[in-house]
Amino acid sequence: MSLILENIGRRVGRNWIVRHLQLEVAEGECLALLGPSGCGKSSTLRLIAGLDQADEGTIFIKGKDVTTVSPVDRRIGMVFQSYALFPHLTVAENLALGLRVRKFSATDQQKRVASILNLMQLEDHARQRPAQLSGGQRQRVALARALLRDPLVYLLDEPMSNLDAQLREDLRPELRRLILKDGQPVVYVTHDQHEAMAMAHRIGVMRDGQLEQVGSPQELYHQPTSTFVASFIGRPQINLLPAESGIIKAIRPEDLKLSSQGLPCRLIHREWLGTSQLWLLESPRGQLRMLTAGDTSIPANIQLEWSTKKEHLFDANSGLRSKYPTS
Amino acid sequence: MIRTRNLWITVLLLWSLAPLLWQLYTSFCSNESLIHTFATHQHRWTLENYRQVLTANPPFWRYLLNSAFVGISSTGLTLLLAIPAAYSLVKVPRNFARGARLFLLGAALFPYVLLFLALLEIARSLNLGNNLLALSFPYAALSMPLAVLLLSSAFRDLPSEIEEAARLEGLGLWQRLRWVLIPLIGPATASTAILVFLFSWNEYPIALTWISTTDLLTLPVAIARIAGSSVYSIPYGAYAAATVLGSLPLLLLVIIFQRQIVSGLTQGAIKG
Repeated sequence: MSLILENIGRRVGRNWIVRHLQLEVAEGECLALLGPSGCGKSSTLRLIAGLDQADEGTIFIKGKDVTTVSPVDRRIGMVFQSYALFPHLTVAENLALGLRVRKFSATDQQKRVASILNLMQLEDHARQRPAQLSGGQRQRVALARALLRDPLVYLLDEPMSNLDAQLREDLRPELRRLILKDGQPVVYVTHDQHEAMAMAHRIGVMRDGQLEQVGSPQELYHQPTSTFVASFIGRPQINLLPAESGIIKAIRPEDLKLSSQGLPCRLIHREWLGTSQLWLLESPRGQLRMLTAGDTSIPANIQLEWSTKKEHLFDANSGLRSKYPTS
Repeated sequence: MIRTRNLWITVLLLWSLAPLLWQLYTSFCSNESLIHTFATHQHRWTLENYRQVLTANPPFWRYLLNSAFVGISSTGLTLLLAIPAAYSLVKVPRNFARGARLFLLGAALFPYVLLFLALLEIARSLNLGNNLLALSFPYAALSMPLAVLLLSSAFRDLPSEIEEAARLEGLGLWQRLRWVLIPLIGPATASTAILVFLFSWNEYPIALTWISTTDLLTLPVAIARIAGSSVYSIPYGAYAAATVLGSLPLLLLVIIFQRQIVSGLTQGAIKG
Protein backbone atom coordinates (compact mmCIF):
# COMPACT_ATOMS: atom_id res chain seq x y z
CA MET A 1 0.00 0.00 0.00
CA SER A 2 1.34 3.30 -1.04
CA LEU A 3 -0.57 5.69 1.20
CA ILE A 4 -1.54 4.53 4.67
CA LEU A 5 -3.34 6.47 7.38
CA GLU A 6 -3.20 4.77 10.74
CA ASN A 7 -5.66 5.85 13.39
CA ILE A 8 -5.34 9.48 12.32
CA GLY A 9 -6.98 12.18 14.44
CA ARG A 10 -7.03 15.95 14.54
CA ARG A 11 -8.41 18.10 17.28
CA VAL A 12 -9.42 21.73 17.21
CA GLY A 13 -9.84 22.91 20.77
CA ARG A 14 -11.76 20.07 22.39
CA ASN A 15 -13.43 18.90 19.20
CA TRP A 16 -12.07 16.03 17.20
CA ILE A 17 -12.70 17.04 13.59
CA VAL A 18 -11.16 13.78 12.36
CA ARG A 19 -10.76 10.71 14.52
CA HIS A 20 -9.78 7.03 14.33
CA LEU A 21 -9.26 7.29 10.61
CA GLN A 22 -7.93 4.11 9.09
CA LEU A 23 -7.30 4.19 5.37
CA GLU A 24 -5.11 2.59 2.74
CA VAL A 25 -4.79 3.63 -0.88
CA ALA A 26 -2.91 1.46 -3.37
CA GLU A 27 -0.73 2.66 -6.25
CA GLY A 28 -2.79 3.71 -9.20
CA GLU A 29 -5.95 3.66 -7.13
CA CYS A 30 -8.39 6.54 -6.83
CA LEU A 31 -10.17 6.72 -3.51
CA ALA A 32 -12.97 9.21 -3.09
CA LEU A 33 -13.80 10.68 0.30
CA LEU A 34 -17.49 11.39 0.25
CA GLY A 35 -19.66 13.03 2.85
CA PRO A 36 -21.78 16.04 3.75
CA SER A 37 -20.01 19.34 4.38
CA GLY A 38 -18.25 19.48 7.72
CA CYS A 39 -17.74 15.72 7.87
CA GLY A 40 -13.95 16.07 7.95
CA LYS A 41 -13.10 15.00 4.40
CA SER A 42 -11.21 18.17 3.51
CA SER A 43 -9.52 18.11 6.92
CA THR A 44 -8.33 14.60 6.17
CA LEU A 45 -6.84 15.81 2.90
CA ARG A 46 -5.03 18.65 4.68
CA LEU A 47 -3.59 16.14 7.14
CA ILE A 48 -2.25 13.99 4.31
CA ALA A 49 -0.78 17.07 2.63
CA GLY A 50 0.85 18.19 5.87
CA LEU A 51 -0.92 21.56 5.83
CA ASP A 52 -2.26 20.59 9.26
CA GLN A 53 -0.56 18.40 11.82
CA ALA A 54 -2.23 15.20 13.03
CA ASP A 55 -2.79 15.11 16.80
CA GLU A 56 -2.71 11.34 16.83
CA GLY A 57 -1.88 8.50 14.48
CA THR A 58 0.67 7.94 11.75
CA ILE A 59 0.78 8.66 8.01
CA PHE A 60 2.90 6.56 5.67
CA ILE A 61 3.71 7.47 2.08
CA LYS A 62 5.51 4.73 0.13
CA GLY A 63 6.39 3.00 3.37
CA LYS A 64 7.95 6.09 4.93
CA ASP A 65 6.52 7.67 8.08
CA VAL A 66 5.77 11.26 7.07
CA THR A 67 3.59 12.27 10.04
CA THR A 68 5.93 15.09 11.05
CA VAL A 69 7.50 15.73 7.64
CA SER A 70 6.96 19.17 6.08
CA PRO A 71 4.47 19.49 3.17
CA VAL A 72 7.27 20.08 0.64
CA ASP A 73 9.10 16.89 1.47
CA ARG A 74 5.95 14.79 1.31
CA ARG A 75 5.85 15.51 -2.44
CA ILE A 76 2.13 16.12 -2.72
CA GLY A 77 0.34 17.14 -5.89
CA MET A 78 -2.73 18.97 -4.73
CA VAL A 79 -5.60 20.61 -6.58
CA PHE A 80 -7.56 22.99 -4.39
CA GLN A 81 -11.26 23.65 -4.69
CA SER A 82 -10.49 27.29 -5.53
CA TYR A 83 -7.51 26.15 -7.67
CA ALA A 84 -5.39 28.64 -5.66
CA LEU A 85 -3.46 29.83 -8.71
CA PHE A 86 -1.10 32.75 -8.17
CA PRO A 87 -3.22 35.59 -9.60
CA HIS A 88 -0.32 37.97 -10.29
CA LEU A 89 1.59 35.48 -12.45
CA THR A 90 0.92 34.25 -15.97
CA VAL A 91 0.04 30.61 -16.56
CA ALA A 92 3.63 29.79 -17.53
CA GLU A 93 4.99 31.63 -14.50
CA ASN A 94 2.52 29.86 -12.25
CA LEU A 95 3.87 26.54 -13.44
CA ALA A 96 7.53 27.57 -13.38
CA LEU A 97 7.59 29.10 -9.89
CA GLY A 98 7.71 25.77 -8.07
CA LEU A 99 10.33 24.39 -10.46
CA ARG A 100 12.48 27.45 -9.91
CA VAL A 101 12.45 27.25 -6.12
CA ARG A 102 13.11 23.50 -6.37
CA LYS A 103 16.30 24.43 -8.22
CA PHE A 104 15.60 23.18 -11.71
CA SER A 105 17.85 24.74 -14.33
CA ALA A 106 16.34 27.43 -16.55
CA THR A 107 16.31 25.21 -19.65
CA ASP A 108 14.84 22.34 -17.67
CA GLN A 109 12.10 24.61 -16.36
CA GLN A 110 11.23 25.75 -19.86
CA LYS A 111 11.18 22.24 -21.22
CA ARG A 112 8.94 20.89 -18.48
CA VAL A 113 6.53 23.81 -18.59
CA ALA A 114 6.30 23.58 -22.37
CA SER A 115 5.57 19.86 -22.33
CA ILE A 116 2.92 20.14 -19.61
CA LEU A 117 1.27 23.07 -21.43
CA ASN A 118 1.19 20.85 -24.49
CA LEU A 119 -0.27 17.91 -22.56
CA MET A 120 -3.00 20.09 -21.06
CA GLN A 121 -3.62 21.96 -24.34
CA LEU A 122 -2.87 25.25 -22.66
CA GLU A 123 -0.15 26.53 -25.06
CA ASP A 124 -2.32 29.40 -26.26
CA HIS A 125 -2.83 30.62 -22.72
CA ALA A 126 0.75 30.53 -21.46
CA ARG A 127 0.99 34.30 -21.27
CA GLN A 128 -2.43 34.91 -19.76
CA ARG A 129 -3.22 35.53 -16.11
CA PRO A 130 -5.63 33.26 -14.24
CA ALA A 131 -8.31 35.98 -14.24
CA GLN A 132 -8.42 35.82 -18.04
CA LEU A 133 -9.09 32.06 -18.11
CA SER A 134 -12.36 30.15 -17.97
CA GLY A 135 -13.14 27.87 -15.03
CA GLY A 136 -12.16 24.75 -16.96
CA GLN A 137 -8.88 26.28 -18.07
CA ARG A 138 -8.04 27.32 -14.52
CA GLN A 139 -8.69 23.80 -13.36
CA ARG A 140 -6.32 22.48 -16.02
CA VAL A 141 -3.61 24.92 -14.90
CA ALA A 142 -4.07 23.80 -11.30
CA LEU A 143 -3.83 20.18 -12.40
CA ALA A 144 -0.77 20.95 -14.52
CA ARG A 145 0.90 22.47 -11.48
CA ALA A 146 0.15 19.33 -9.48
CA LEU A 147 1.49 17.09 -12.26
CA LEU A 148 4.71 19.13 -12.52
CA ARG A 149 5.25 18.50 -8.84
CA ASP A 150 6.09 14.91 -9.79
CA PRO A 151 4.20 13.82 -6.70
CA LEU A 152 4.04 10.61 -4.71
CA VAL A 153 0.38 11.21 -3.89
CA TYR A 154 -2.34 13.22 -5.63
CA LEU A 155 -4.88 15.05 -3.49
CA LEU A 156 -7.89 16.65 -5.14
CA ASP A 157 -10.22 18.80 -3.06
CA GLU A 158 -13.56 19.19 -4.85
CA PRO A 159 -11.76 19.95 -8.12
CA MET A 160 -15.01 20.09 -10.09
CA SER A 161 -17.30 22.02 -7.80
CA ASN A 162 -16.61 25.38 -9.43
CA LEU A 163 -17.52 24.13 -12.90
CA ASP A 164 -20.96 23.93 -14.43
CA ALA A 165 -22.66 20.55 -14.59
CA GLN A 166 -22.09 19.88 -18.30
CA LEU A 167 -18.40 20.71 -18.17
CA ARG A 168 -18.03 18.56 -15.06
CA GLU A 169 -19.32 15.48 -16.88
CA ASP A 170 -17.18 16.22 -19.94
CA LEU A 171 -14.01 16.60 -17.89
CA ARG A 172 -14.36 13.50 -15.70
CA PRO A 173 -12.77 10.92 -18.04
CA GLU A 174 -9.93 13.30 -18.94
CA LEU A 175 -9.20 14.13 -15.31
CA ARG A 176 -9.28 10.47 -14.36
CA ARG A 177 -6.87 9.58 -17.14
CA LEU A 178 -4.41 12.33 -16.20
CA ILE A 179 -4.25 11.71 -12.47
CA LEU A 180 -3.99 7.95 -12.84
CA LYS A 181 -1.46 7.94 -15.64
CA ASP A 182 1.66 7.80 -13.48
CA GLY A 183 0.24 5.17 -11.17
CA GLN A 184 0.25 7.12 -7.92
CA PRO A 185 -2.43 6.90 -5.26
CA VAL A 186 -5.15 9.53 -5.59
CA VAL A 187 -7.43 10.84 -2.85
CA TYR A 188 -10.41 12.68 -4.26
CA VAL A 189 -12.67 14.69 -1.98
CA THR A 190 -16.19 15.40 -3.11
CA HIS A 191 -19.68 15.82 -1.75
CA ASP A 192 -21.19 14.63 -5.02
CA GLN A 193 -21.87 10.89 -5.01
CA HIS A 194 -22.20 10.72 -8.80
CA GLU A 195 -18.77 12.22 -9.17
CA ALA A 196 -17.36 9.86 -6.55
CA MET A 197 -18.82 6.86 -8.33
CA ALA A 198 -17.57 8.06 -11.72
CA MET A 199 -14.05 8.87 -10.59
CA ALA A 200 -13.11 6.42 -7.86
CA HIS A 201 -12.26 2.76 -7.56
CA ARG A 202 -13.29 2.87 -3.93
CA ILE A 203 -15.31 5.34 -1.91
CA GLY A 204 -14.94 6.20 1.76
CA VAL A 205 -18.09 7.67 3.23
CA MET A 206 -17.32 10.05 6.11
CA ARG A 207 -19.54 11.32 8.87
CA ASP A 208 -18.65 13.48 11.87
CA GLY A 209 -14.92 13.03 11.37
CA GLN A 210 -15.05 9.27 11.11
CA LEU A 211 -15.04 6.85 8.20
CA GLU A 212 -18.44 5.22 8.09
CA GLN A 213 -17.73 2.69 5.34
CA VAL A 214 -15.10 2.11 2.69
CA GLY A 215 -15.82 0.03 -0.38
CA SER A 216 -16.39 -0.09 -4.10
CA PRO A 217 -19.37 1.90 -5.40
CA GLN A 218 -21.24 -1.40 -5.86
CA GLU A 219 -20.57 -2.51 -2.29
CA LEU A 220 -21.73 0.80 -0.88
CA TYR A 221 -24.88 0.63 -2.95
CA HIS A 222 -25.80 -3.00 -2.38
CA GLN A 223 -24.41 -3.58 1.12
CA PRO A 224 -24.47 -0.32 3.04
CA THR A 225 -23.31 -0.95 6.61
CA SER A 226 -25.46 1.75 8.14
CA THR A 227 -28.62 3.76 7.53
CA PHE A 228 -26.38 6.81 6.99
CA VAL A 229 -24.51 5.20 4.10
CA ALA A 230 -27.72 3.70 2.75
CA SER A 231 -29.42 7.08 2.56
CA PHE A 232 -26.28 8.94 1.41
CA ILE A 233 -25.53 6.63 -1.53
CA GLY A 234 -28.10 6.23 -4.30
CA ARG A 235 -30.52 8.74 -5.77
CA PRO A 236 -33.44 8.87 -5.40
CA GLN A 237 -32.84 8.21 -1.73
CA ILE A 238 -33.53 4.81 -0.18
CA ASN A 239 -36.83 4.38 1.71
CA LEU A 240 -36.33 3.88 5.44
CA LEU A 241 -39.47 2.31 6.92
CA PRO A 242 -40.41 3.11 10.53
CA ALA A 243 -38.69 0.82 13.03
CA GLU A 244 -40.56 -2.33 14.04
CA SER A 245 -39.31 -4.37 17.02
CA GLY A 246 -35.89 -2.69 16.91
CA ILE A 247 -35.34 -3.25 13.20
CA ILE A 248 -35.38 -0.63 10.43
CA LYS A 249 -36.23 -1.98 7.00
CA ALA A 250 -34.88 -0.07 4.03
CA ILE A 251 -35.81 -0.55 0.41
CA ARG A 252 -34.47 1.13 -2.71
CA PRO A 253 -37.00 3.10 -4.80
CA GLU A 254 -36.35 0.91 -7.86
CA ASP A 255 -37.13 -2.27 -5.89
CA LEU A 256 -40.72 -1.21 -5.19
CA LYS A 257 -43.22 -2.87 -7.56
CA LEU A 258 -46.87 -2.25 -8.32
CA SER A 259 -49.12 -5.13 -7.34
CA SER A 260 -52.79 -6.02 -6.92
CA GLN A 261 -52.65 -6.72 -3.19
CA GLY A 262 -49.91 -4.86 -1.33
CA LEU A 263 -49.33 -1.71 0.66
CA PRO A 264 -52.03 0.80 -0.34
CA CYS A 265 -50.62 4.19 -1.35
CA ARG A 266 -51.68 7.61 -2.54
CA LEU A 267 -49.66 9.57 -5.12
CA ILE A 268 -48.48 12.96 -3.86
CA HIS A 269 -46.06 14.03 -6.55
CA ARG A 270 -44.58 12.77 -9.79
CA GLU A 271 -41.25 13.71 -11.39
CA TRP A 272 -40.26 12.85 -14.94
CA LEU A 273 -36.65 11.72 -15.21
CA GLY A 274 -36.73 10.79 -18.90
CA THR A 275 -36.38 7.00 -19.10
CA SER A 276 -37.88 6.66 -15.66
CA GLN A 277 -40.17 8.53 -13.33
CA LEU A 278 -40.14 9.12 -9.60
CA TRP A 279 -43.34 8.81 -7.63
CA LEU A 280 -43.63 10.27 -4.18
CA LEU A 281 -46.24 8.21 -2.34
CA GLU A 282 -48.08 8.47 0.97
CA SER A 283 -48.54 5.09 2.66
CA PRO A 284 -49.53 3.79 6.13
CA ARG A 285 -45.80 3.23 6.66
CA GLY A 286 -44.75 6.73 5.84
CA GLN A 287 -43.71 8.48 2.64
CA LEU A 288 -42.18 6.28 -0.05
CA ARG A 289 -40.15 7.06 -3.13
CA MET A 290 -40.69 4.74 -6.04
CA LEU A 291 -38.75 4.61 -9.29
CA THR A 292 -40.64 3.19 -12.22
CA ALA A 293 -40.33 3.01 -15.99
CA GLY A 294 -41.03 6.20 -17.89
CA ASP A 295 -44.11 4.79 -19.61
CA THR A 296 -45.85 3.42 -16.51
CA SER A 297 -49.33 4.88 -16.20
CA ILE A 298 -50.78 5.64 -12.80
CA PRO A 299 -53.31 2.99 -11.75
CA ALA A 300 -56.52 4.01 -10.02
CA ASN A 301 -55.53 2.03 -6.95
CA ILE A 302 -51.83 2.11 -6.14
CA GLN A 303 -50.63 -0.88 -4.14
CA LEU A 304 -46.96 -1.71 -3.61
CA GLU A 305 -44.97 -4.83 -2.85
CA TRP A 306 -41.30 -5.77 -2.79
CA SER A 307 -39.17 -8.84 -2.48
CA THR A 308 -37.84 -9.46 1.03
CA LYS A 309 -34.52 -10.32 -0.64
CA LYS A 310 -34.21 -6.66 -1.56
CA GLU A 311 -34.71 -5.44 1.99
CA HIS A 312 -31.80 -3.92 3.89
CA LEU A 313 -32.12 -4.45 7.63
CA PHE A 314 -30.61 -2.11 10.22
CA ASP A 315 -30.60 -2.00 13.98
CA ALA A 316 -32.93 0.83 15.04
CA ASN A 317 -30.68 2.01 17.89
CA SER A 318 -27.23 1.99 16.31
CA GLY A 319 -28.30 2.42 12.69
CA LEU A 320 -25.87 -0.39 11.78
CA ARG A 321 -26.64 -3.23 9.40
CA SER A 322 -28.32 -5.97 11.37
CA LYS A 323 -27.14 -9.59 11.28
CA TYR A 324 -30.60 -10.95 12.11
CA PRO A 325 -32.33 -13.06 9.49
CA THR A 326 -35.49 -11.65 7.96
CA SER A 327 -38.47 -12.27 10.22
CA MET B 1 -30.69 62.53 -9.29
CA ILE B 2 -27.50 62.82 -11.31
CA ARG B 3 -27.76 66.59 -11.33
CA THR B 4 -28.05 66.81 -7.55
CA ARG B 5 -25.18 64.38 -7.22
CA ASN B 6 -23.00 66.48 -9.48
CA LEU B 7 -23.96 69.53 -7.48
CA TRP B 8 -22.85 67.82 -4.28
CA ILE B 9 -19.56 66.79 -5.85
CA THR B 10 -18.96 70.36 -7.00
CA VAL B 11 -19.68 71.73 -3.53
CA LEU B 12 -17.36 69.18 -1.92
CA LEU B 13 -14.60 69.86 -4.41
CA LEU B 14 -14.87 73.59 -3.87
CA TRP B 15 -14.90 73.08 -0.12
CA SER B 16 -11.70 71.06 -0.12
CA LEU B 17 -9.90 72.73 -3.03
CA ALA B 18 -10.70 76.36 -2.24
CA PRO B 19 -7.77 76.90 0.18
CA LEU B 20 -5.38 75.31 -2.30
CA LEU B 21 -6.68 77.37 -5.19
CA TRP B 22 -6.43 80.50 -3.06
CA GLN B 23 -2.86 79.62 -2.23
CA LEU B 24 -2.09 79.09 -5.92
CA TYR B 25 -3.67 82.44 -6.75
CA THR B 26 -1.77 84.20 -4.00
CA SER B 27 1.54 82.76 -5.14
CA PHE B 28 1.22 84.53 -8.48
CA CYS B 29 0.25 87.90 -7.03
CA SER B 30 2.67 90.67 -6.24
CA ASN B 31 2.86 91.66 -2.62
CA GLU B 32 1.50 95.15 -3.32
CA SER B 33 -1.62 93.81 -4.97
CA LEU B 34 -2.18 91.46 -2.05
CA ILE B 35 -2.16 94.27 0.46
CA HIS B 36 -4.20 96.76 -1.58
CA THR B 37 -6.74 94.33 -2.90
CA PHE B 38 -9.05 96.86 -4.57
CA ALA B 39 -6.47 99.22 -5.95
CA THR B 40 -5.91 98.81 -9.65
CA HIS B 41 -2.35 97.82 -10.12
CA GLN B 42 -0.24 97.40 -13.18
CA HIS B 43 1.88 94.55 -11.93
CA ARG B 44 -0.70 92.32 -10.40
CA TRP B 45 0.53 89.02 -11.86
CA THR B 46 4.11 88.07 -11.13
CA LEU B 47 6.56 85.19 -10.83
CA GLU B 48 8.61 87.23 -8.40
CA ASN B 49 7.51 85.09 -5.42
CA TYR B 50 8.82 81.92 -7.03
CA ARG B 51 12.05 83.62 -8.04
CA GLN B 52 12.52 84.82 -4.51
CA VAL B 53 11.93 81.37 -2.98
CA LEU B 54 14.05 79.47 -5.50
CA THR B 55 17.01 81.83 -5.36
CA ALA B 56 17.16 82.20 -1.60
CA ASN B 57 20.14 80.74 0.23
CA PRO B 58 19.88 77.76 0.36
CA PRO B 59 17.49 77.50 -2.62
CA PHE B 60 14.12 76.00 -1.96
CA TRP B 61 14.71 72.75 -3.86
CA ARG B 62 17.24 71.91 -1.16
CA TYR B 63 14.36 71.56 1.33
CA LEU B 64 12.41 69.50 -1.18
CA LEU B 65 15.34 67.13 -1.46
CA ASN B 66 15.70 66.94 2.33
CA SER B 67 12.04 66.10 2.77
CA ALA B 68 12.11 63.58 -0.05
CA PHE B 69 15.11 61.89 1.52
CA VAL B 70 13.46 61.72 4.93
CA GLY B 71 10.18 60.59 3.36
CA ILE B 72 11.74 57.79 1.37
CA SER B 73 13.88 56.51 4.21
CA SER B 74 10.98 56.60 6.71
CA THR B 75 8.68 54.84 4.26
CA GLY B 76 11.30 52.22 3.46
CA LEU B 77 12.07 51.60 7.12
CA THR B 78 8.37 51.41 8.02
CA LEU B 79 7.55 48.90 5.29
CA LEU B 80 10.62 46.83 6.07
CA LEU B 81 9.43 46.41 9.66
CA ALA B 82 5.66 46.53 9.16
CA ILE B 83 5.34 43.85 6.47
CA PRO B 84 6.83 41.00 8.54
CA ALA B 85 4.97 42.25 11.63
CA ALA B 86 1.67 42.36 9.73
CA TYR B 87 2.21 38.88 8.30
CA SER B 88 2.97 37.37 11.67
CA LEU B 89 -0.08 39.07 13.16
CA VAL B 90 -2.20 36.92 10.84
CA LYS B 91 -0.42 33.73 11.90
CA VAL B 92 -0.43 34.08 15.71
CA PRO B 93 -3.33 32.68 17.78
CA ARG B 94 -6.52 34.61 17.26
CA ASN B 95 -6.92 35.98 20.79
CA PHE B 96 -3.38 37.25 20.91
CA ALA B 97 -3.82 38.90 17.51
CA ARG B 98 -7.03 40.58 18.68
CA GLY B 99 -5.25 41.98 21.74
CA ALA B 100 -2.31 43.12 19.64
CA ARG B 101 -4.64 44.87 17.18
CA LEU B 102 -6.38 46.79 19.98
CA PHE B 103 -3.00 47.79 21.34
CA LEU B 104 -1.85 48.97 17.90
CA LEU B 105 -5.07 50.89 17.42
CA GLY B 106 -4.48 52.65 20.74
CA ALA B 107 -0.94 53.50 19.67
CA ALA B 108 -2.15 54.76 16.29
CA LEU B 109 -4.70 57.05 17.93
CA PHE B 110 -2.26 58.42 20.52
CA PRO B 111 -1.52 62.14 19.92
CA TYR B 112 2.17 61.95 19.11
CA VAL B 113 2.75 65.62 19.86
CA LEU B 114 2.78 64.61 23.53
CA LEU B 115 5.88 62.56 22.80
CA PHE B 116 8.06 65.14 21.14
CA LEU B 117 9.77 66.46 24.26
CA ALA B 118 10.70 62.94 25.31
CA LEU B 119 11.87 62.21 21.78
CA LEU B 120 13.98 65.34 21.86
CA GLU B 121 15.68 64.09 25.04
CA ILE B 122 16.40 60.79 23.35
CA ALA B 123 17.77 62.54 20.28
CA ARG B 124 20.01 64.68 22.46
CA SER B 125 21.38 61.79 24.50
CA LEU B 126 21.98 59.63 21.40
CA ASN B 127 23.36 62.58 19.47
CA LEU B 128 20.79 62.24 16.70
CA GLY B 129 20.18 65.96 16.21
CA ASN B 130 20.80 67.56 12.81
CA ASN B 131 20.77 64.20 11.05
CA LEU B 132 18.18 63.63 8.35
CA LEU B 133 18.44 59.84 8.41
CA ALA B 134 17.90 59.84 12.17
CA LEU B 135 14.66 61.74 11.64
CA SER B 136 13.23 58.68 9.92
CA PHE B 137 13.49 56.64 13.15
CA PRO B 138 10.73 58.51 15.03
CA TYR B 139 8.75 58.83 11.79
CA ALA B 140 8.88 55.09 11.13
CA ALA B 141 8.10 54.33 14.77
CA LEU B 142 5.09 56.64 14.78
CA SER B 143 3.80 55.24 11.48
CA MET B 144 4.23 51.59 12.46
CA PRO B 145 0.91 51.00 14.28
CA LEU B 146 -1.25 52.19 11.40
CA ALA B 147 0.97 50.53 8.80
CA VAL B 148 0.84 47.18 10.59
CA LEU B 149 -2.94 47.39 10.96
CA LEU B 150 -3.48 48.22 7.28
CA LEU B 151 -1.07 45.60 5.98
CA SER B 152 -2.25 42.85 8.29
CA SER B 153 -5.83 43.28 7.14
CA ALA B 154 -4.53 42.99 3.58
CA PHE B 155 -2.72 39.75 4.47
CA ARG B 156 -5.82 38.49 6.23
CA ASP B 157 -7.96 39.08 3.15
CA LEU B 158 -5.72 36.89 0.98
CA PRO B 159 -7.22 33.42 0.52
CA SER B 160 -5.17 31.06 2.69
CA GLU B 161 -5.18 28.42 -0.06
CA ILE B 162 -2.85 30.54 -2.18
CA GLU B 163 -0.18 30.48 0.48
CA GLU B 164 -0.80 26.78 1.10
CA ALA B 165 -0.37 26.05 -2.60
CA ALA B 166 2.93 27.91 -2.46
CA ARG B 167 3.99 25.84 0.55
CA LEU B 168 3.23 22.63 -1.31
CA GLU B 169 5.22 23.94 -4.26
CA GLY B 170 8.24 24.13 -1.98
CA LEU B 171 8.43 27.86 -1.31
CA GLY B 172 9.91 28.70 2.08
CA LEU B 173 8.66 31.55 4.25
CA TRP B 174 10.76 34.27 2.61
CA GLN B 175 10.12 32.94 -0.86
CA ARG B 176 6.39 32.95 -0.20
CA LEU B 177 6.55 36.55 0.98
CA ARG B 178 8.80 37.64 -1.84
CA TRP B 179 7.17 35.86 -4.78
CA VAL B 180 3.54 35.47 -3.78
CA LEU B 181 2.28 37.39 -0.77
CA ILE B 182 3.92 40.80 -1.10
CA PRO B 183 3.07 41.12 -4.81
CA LEU B 184 -0.52 40.28 -3.93
CA ILE B 185 -0.83 42.95 -1.26
CA GLY B 186 0.71 45.51 -3.64
CA PRO B 187 -2.23 47.90 -3.60
CA ALA B 188 -2.39 47.94 0.21
CA THR B 189 1.37 48.42 0.37
CA ALA B 190 1.19 51.35 -2.03
CA SER B 191 -1.51 53.13 -0.04
CA THR B 192 0.27 52.46 3.24
CA ALA B 193 3.51 53.81 1.77
CA ILE B 194 1.76 56.98 0.65
CA LEU B 195 0.27 57.53 4.11
CA VAL B 196 3.68 57.13 5.75
CA PHE B 197 5.33 59.40 3.19
CA LEU B 198 2.62 62.00 3.70
CA PHE B 199 3.09 61.94 7.46
CA SER B 200 6.82 62.42 7.19
CA TRP B 201 6.38 65.12 4.52
CA ASN B 202 4.06 67.15 6.73
CA GLU B 203 5.52 66.47 10.17
CA TYR B 204 6.45 69.67 12.04
CA PRO B 205 7.24 69.50 15.80
CA ILE B 206 9.85 66.75 15.67
CA ALA B 207 11.52 68.17 12.58
CA LEU B 208 11.55 71.62 14.21
CA THR B 209 13.27 70.41 17.37
CA TRP B 210 15.66 67.83 15.90
CA ILE B 211 17.03 69.93 13.05
CA SER B 212 18.57 73.36 13.47
CA THR B 213 21.07 73.57 10.60
CA THR B 214 19.47 75.62 7.82
CA ASP B 215 20.77 73.31 5.09
CA LEU B 216 19.04 70.29 6.64
CA LEU B 217 15.58 71.73 7.29
CA THR B 218 12.58 69.81 6.03
CA LEU B 219 9.77 71.52 4.12
CA PRO B 220 7.29 72.39 6.88
CA VAL B 221 9.98 73.99 9.02
CA ALA B 222 11.50 75.78 6.06
CA ILE B 223 8.13 77.15 4.98
CA ALA B 224 7.42 78.33 8.51
CA ARG B 225 10.76 80.14 8.49
CA ILE B 226 9.86 81.95 5.30
CA ALA B 227 6.60 83.10 6.89
CA GLY B 228 8.40 84.37 9.95
CA SER B 229 11.47 85.77 8.21
CA SER B 230 10.62 89.43 8.74
CA VAL B 231 9.37 91.16 11.85
CA TYR B 232 7.67 93.95 9.92
CA SER B 233 5.67 92.14 7.25
CA ILE B 234 4.48 88.69 6.35
CA PRO B 235 5.69 87.68 2.87
CA TYR B 236 2.37 86.15 1.85
CA GLY B 237 3.42 85.72 -1.77
CA ALA B 238 6.66 83.87 -1.05
CA TYR B 239 4.94 81.79 1.59
CA ALA B 240 2.24 80.75 -0.88
CA ALA B 241 4.81 79.95 -3.56
CA ALA B 242 6.68 77.71 -1.11
CA THR B 243 3.48 75.85 -0.18
CA VAL B 244 2.62 75.29 -3.82
CA LEU B 245 6.09 73.95 -4.55
CA GLY B 246 5.86 71.73 -1.48
CA SER B 247 2.55 70.21 -2.57
CA LEU B 248 3.56 69.41 -6.14
CA PRO B 249 5.62 66.27 -5.36
CA LEU B 250 2.75 64.81 -3.33
CA LEU B 251 0.32 65.48 -6.15
CA LEU B 252 2.68 63.74 -8.55
CA LEU B 253 3.07 60.77 -6.21
CA VAL B 254 -0.67 60.24 -5.88
CA ILE B 255 -1.17 60.51 -9.64
CA ILE B 256 1.54 57.91 -10.28
CA PHE B 257 0.28 55.41 -7.71
CA GLN B 258 -3.43 55.99 -8.26
CA ARG B 259 -3.84 52.96 -10.49
CA GLN B 260 -1.81 50.76 -8.14
CA ILE B 261 -4.01 51.74 -5.23
CA VAL B 262 -7.27 51.19 -7.02
CA SER B 263 -6.51 48.01 -8.96
CA GLY B 264 -7.69 44.81 -7.33
CA LEU B 265 -4.90 42.39 -8.04
CA THR B 266 -6.45 39.48 -6.21
CA GLN B 267 -9.33 39.28 -8.67
CA GLY B 268 -9.59 35.85 -10.24
CA ALA B 269 -7.48 34.12 -7.61
CA ILE B 270 -10.53 32.31 -6.38
CA LYS B 271 -13.52 31.34 -8.47
CA GLY B 272 -14.98 34.17 -10.34
